[in-house]
Amino acid sequence: MTEQAQQMIEHVIYVIRKPGIEIDETTPLVSSGLVDSMALVDLLLKLEELTKMRIPPGKVQPKDMDTVTLMFATAQRVGRPRK
Amino acid sequence: MIATEYRTLIDALNCAPASRPFVTAWLDEDTRETVTFGEFRRRARLHAALLRDHGVRAGDRVVVIMSQGIPTMTIFVGAMMLGAVPAILAYPNFKVEPAKYSFGLAGVTANLRARVVVIDQEFPEEMLGHVALGEGTTLVRAGDTTADGRDDELPDAGNQPESLAFIQHSAGTTGLQKGVALTHAAVLRQLRSLAEVLKIDGGNDRVYSWLPLYHDMGLIACFILPMVCHMPVVMQSPLDWVMHPETMLQILSEYKCTLAWLPNFAFQFVPRRTSPSRWPQYDLSSARALINCSEPVRAASMDEFYRAFASIGLKREALQSSYAMAENVFAVTQSDIHRPPERIWADGLRFRAEHFIAPVTEEAPGALSFVSSGRLLPNHEVRIISDTGALLPQGGVSEILIKSDCMFEGYYNRPDLTSKAIVDGWYHSGDLGFSLDGELYVVGRKKDLLIIGGENIYPQDIEEAVCSHPAIHDGRAVALGLYNPDLGTEEIIVVAEVEREELLETAVALEREIRSRVVASSGVAVRTILLKPPKWIVKSTAGKPARFATREKLLKEHPELNPGQEEKANR
Repeated sequence: MTEQAQQMIEHVIYVIRKPGIEIDETTPLVSSGLVDSMALVDLLLKLEELTKMRIPPGKVQPKDMDTVTLMFATAQRVGRPRK
Repeated sequence: MIATEYRTLIDALNCAPASRPFVTAWLDEDTRETVTFGEFRRRARLHAALLRDHGVRAGDRVVVIMSQGIPTMTIFVGAMMLGAVPAILAYPNFKVEPAKYSFGLAGVTANLRARVVVIDQEFPEEMLGHVALGEGTTLVRAGDTTADGRDDELPDAGNQPESLAFIQHSAGTTGLQKGVALTHAAVLRQLRSLAEVLKIDGGNDRVYSWLPLYHDMGLIACFILPMVCHMPVVMQSPLDWVMHPETMLQILSEYKCTLAWLPNFAFQFVPRRTSPSRWPQYDLSSARALINCSEPVRAASMDEFYRAFASIGLKREALQSSYAMAENVFAVTQSDIHRPPERIWADGLRFRAEHFIAPVTEEAPGALSFVSSGRLLPNHEVRIISDTGALLPQGGVSEILIKSDCMFEGYYNRPDLTSKAIVDGWYHSGDLGFSLDGELYVVGRKKDLLIIGGENIYPQDIEEAVCSHPAIHDGRAVALGLYNPDLGTEEIIVVAEVEREELLETAVALEREIRSRVVASSGVAVRTILLKPPKWIVKSTAGKPARFATREKLLKEHPELNPGQEEKANR
């Protein structure tokens, strides 16, 4: 697991306020109800910070953020490097 | 000024100078696109040809469900060029619960019975099943704007001033939104009045907007008004704004925008979610009207925005107010463009017990402050009517009824709802307010009003007092009335989010402090205050607390709060 993925997992745990919960890169977050759609703003901002990319939120749907792996794939797909 | 010879919105667009910039779609500091009025017309004609090829004819409904941007606007206008009736619907996004979105989408599309539903390439497949495609409806995926369709002559659409121009949907967070059907003539009458009171000069003014195009502020004030006044608009998506509110300061500065419409919460959101250390690089001196609209106007929010940005050129008189609704095309009132909105202080006890405004000084005990939404636009009338239908004198607080020369034709396909909303030519707004010295003040929604022991309590007043506590996340408090069968009246329950979860450890002390604030500012005793972690309160698609859904969530978690609800429902 990359350091970025680890940091994102820690942020997810912080955002959902469930200390001690076990989450890995493939744990479904949105479809399982662990993360509600309002919390996705926080996750998207964190993803921008970790990837140093600008991610147009209009191109992101909840399913694109369902797992930590998908989040980074989404950043690669729609994100653009910050100048 | 808007020329009186325009018979339709398309006439107005056709008269715009071809080389003048119209829409700038702003994505970030590196990515933006500007189209001139000439290029906008060209793209709209291409889209009209595309729609015509899909069978769209005059009078047909065209539903547009695309992410915010120039193609959404050119398809909308392209449909109008054919005499068809377009409606922009909210696009699914990561902030809206898919189940809630799909329910609303199914209802709205079924009611509109569109000839064509236009979606973009990115429209999520899983949502397609919820677009009601009746017999004769075609689904079109819009591709590259510049490549679609053929730029050939369009037949005369036969648009008349009294033809339906488009359908805009009323704000609504639950159930079915209502389609507000508007004619070209009604929209043009509204825009002439609005342009006159705002002293709009299309050659010198420029609009900034992050407002969604499916909402009247975004559609009318920030798209159709600029189109008809030949005025440039710089637009970003609501999601971009919410994630990066500093971009609003950046765009206002860079493009020297002069006009913007914002809901009340934005006047607090921007100062609180941007870093003061970065403010000095921006300049807001070009803004001549930032108009607080769509929620009751709060003095504290306006003051916070002014305090934050006065040092970077913001003028006090640039903070303006308006009262608007989709059913009237848009604005009913607008504050005087040359000065800040009127403010008054009124006796809090008489306001609640007698529903009457008795002006007092600011220092008077229990004084409540109100900010005016301005004066009526030309050819507008309002009445304040009691529950029994009696016309109230100046200062009486009750439902606002409106009559104007730009009222909607009715809710599309819903004569049942139309006949309830318009009675004897007066539109029943469902908003509560009062008139004083020619100014209209809006205090809240009738359906949200709490009646406690015969006193009218406005939940917004309590919520404002709760949110004034630094430990509470601004805008994240909901005051609810729950019936107590022992007392025979409702009692007030407040649910509020703390700024940080750690603050819940001091909940008992916080509740005591908040209770004192509420009593001090409104004289109201709250039965229970429930403090919750961040993001607990259910929000609407507009980002405001959703009262009904929050109430349901609260009662599910705390059934002990509401032992008497069944009894009330059965009465």
